[in-house]
Amino acid sequence: MQKRTLFLSASLLVAALAAGCGGGGSNEPTLPPAPSNTTPSGPSFDMSKATATVSGKIAFEGTPPPNDKIQMSSDPYCQMHAAEYSTAETVKVTDGGLENVMIYVSMGAPAGPFAPPSTPVEIVQQNCHYVPHVFTIMTNQTLNVKNADMTLHNIHIWAEKNPQFNVGQAVKGMITPTKFATPELIPIRCDVHKWMGAFVGVFDHPFSTVSKQDGTYELKLPPGTYEITAWHEKFGKKTMMVTVADNEKKDLGFSFNANDKAATAD
Amino acid sequence: MKRGTCHPLFHLSPFYPTLKMQDEDIALHRFALFTACCTAFLIFVGGLVTSTRSGLSVPDWPTTYGWNMFTFPFSKWVGGIFYEHSHRLVASTVGFLTVILTVWTWMKETRSWVRWLSTAATGAVILQGVFGGLTVIFLLPAWISTVHACLAQTFFCLIIAMAVVTSPQWKRGLPLIKAHAESVPLETLCVMTTSAVYVQLILGALMRHTNAGLTIPDFPLALGHIIPPLISSKVIIHFAHRVGALMVTAMVVWTFSRIARSYSYYPLLLRPARTMLVLVVVQISLGAATVWTAKALLPTTAHVLTGALVLGTSFLLTLRAYAMVVDRVPAWK
Repeated sequence: MQKRTLFLSASLLVAALAAGCGGGGSNEPTLPPAPSNTTPSGPSFDMSKATATVSGKIAFEGTPPPNDKIQMSSDPYCQMHAAEYSTAETVKVTDGGLENVMIYVSMGAPAGPFAPPSTPVEIVQQNCHYVPHVFTIMTNQTLNVKNADMTLHNIHIWAEKNPQFNVGQAVKGMITPTKFATPELIPIRCDVHKWMGAFVGVFDHPFSTVSKQDGTYELKLPPGTYEITAWHEKFGKKTMMVTVADNEKKDLGFSFNANDKAATAD
Repeated sequence: MKRGTCHPLFHLSPFYPTLKMQDEDIALHRFALFTACCTAFLIFVGGLVTSTRSGLSVPDWPTTYGWNMFTFPFSKWVGGIFYEHSHRLVASTVGFLTVILTVWTWMKETRSWVRWLSTAATGAVILQGVFGGLTVIFLLPAWISTVHACLAQTFFCLIIAMAVVTSPQWKRGLPLIKAHAESVPLETLCVMTTSAVYVQLILGALMRHTNAGLTIPDFPLALGHIIPPLISSKVIIHFAHRVGALMVTAMVVWTFSRIARSYSYYPLLLRPARTMLVLVVVQISLGAATVWTAKALLPTTAHVLTGALVLGTSFLLTLRAYAMVVDRVPAWK
């Protein structure tokens, strides 16, 4: 009786194991379907009309708050690069300039449609960090997510207006393409490595950029009046109005300080 | 139950004709007990997954990054994958143990209701696995994650029931006690307590999976008040969980007081009642620690496990109360 019990149980075990079978390595991840409307209807906006330049510096006043320390020891591969990344990348100030601020036209953008560039934007998981940390992309422009590390990552796009997805990249060199159909500011996370994070601003126009290491930025715009917004993940956003004429260059600086705070969702 | 009628569980008494006194399969009982212990461990490991926000570190199911989950290389158990993958393996183990328990029960048990109880446990664990997979595939929607958490507690109770009813003590027949004249019979009180604990667990799961755990960051006050301004759904959920804690404490104290006063000579009732009281005190302390430490890993996860233990103890007490407390003790007792 006992032997029969054991035999039956063993059979069930084997059946269950077979049911859990997968490939010997990583299969192609399944992504949400790409938006069907990938090409704008009607003639696209002529970018040669963007003759005006709005540029400036995103300044940080006072002493920047310290970034959180990060522990990369949960992955031996990441731990090898721990010395380069002892803290999070949230606040990066160089010579009074704040890096990784997203600057974009929030109101007044000329009527489209705007054809997305054929060149994809790339975000790379490198040394267990996202490079770049903050970037912008147009709707329906291809975003390639690349794993440049000899370890597993999962790319978790926390979209709300666009389909959210979570894809594993088990192998170095894996590239996962995706697109976003709706303008949105989207956080990106890796659930394997909790310290990894990035932000992507999806816009339905090409008038957006990210401040450089020294805090400077430049936007090419057609003549007109615009509301320009500067957004930082920790310090929130600030807006300013600017009017530019044909071939005019205007300086538009923004300033953040440690008392500024991003709005938190409930 | 009408006065003068037999207790519904009378057929478990040693004088019930079809029960074989010699058929004490203690091995089956011990296996059920072992499965119950593994289930408690699984609940802890599952709690760790949420506490470390590792629920989506393995994006695919039932495979693990394309590998068969039983052959996923140990070298790749890094970061959040360690918690999520461990959880899946422990869950699979508990699933297999449950299947073995069911097969064994069908082969050994003469009581058909016990066989069907084991089958229900297998059904529950399979359903639990499916919900676990669904919550990963659909990116942790709050309602699926909450059902997954609550079904875990239900399954835990089913396994505890299996351990209890397969015990030699139960099969021989628990001592029968004449019910005291009370406004609320003990069995009913135990059911009410168990139900209150279960509702509290639902609220706790809902709070965890809607990220409402620190919506009220102070304790024992709530946003600086006794009753906080109910400014959002998360505040309501969190505060409901605190109110639930008070209700559960009141029910547990009531149950313990009743047993200590009227049934103190019966350790089969007194011991679980006392254990339940101690666990509730620990649970409240862990809840406070969870808030004070801003959801530090250990107190938060221990809080999840202790909640399950409170439920399990209350459920055990309920089963015994139903088996032991009768309106009229037969003359042969």
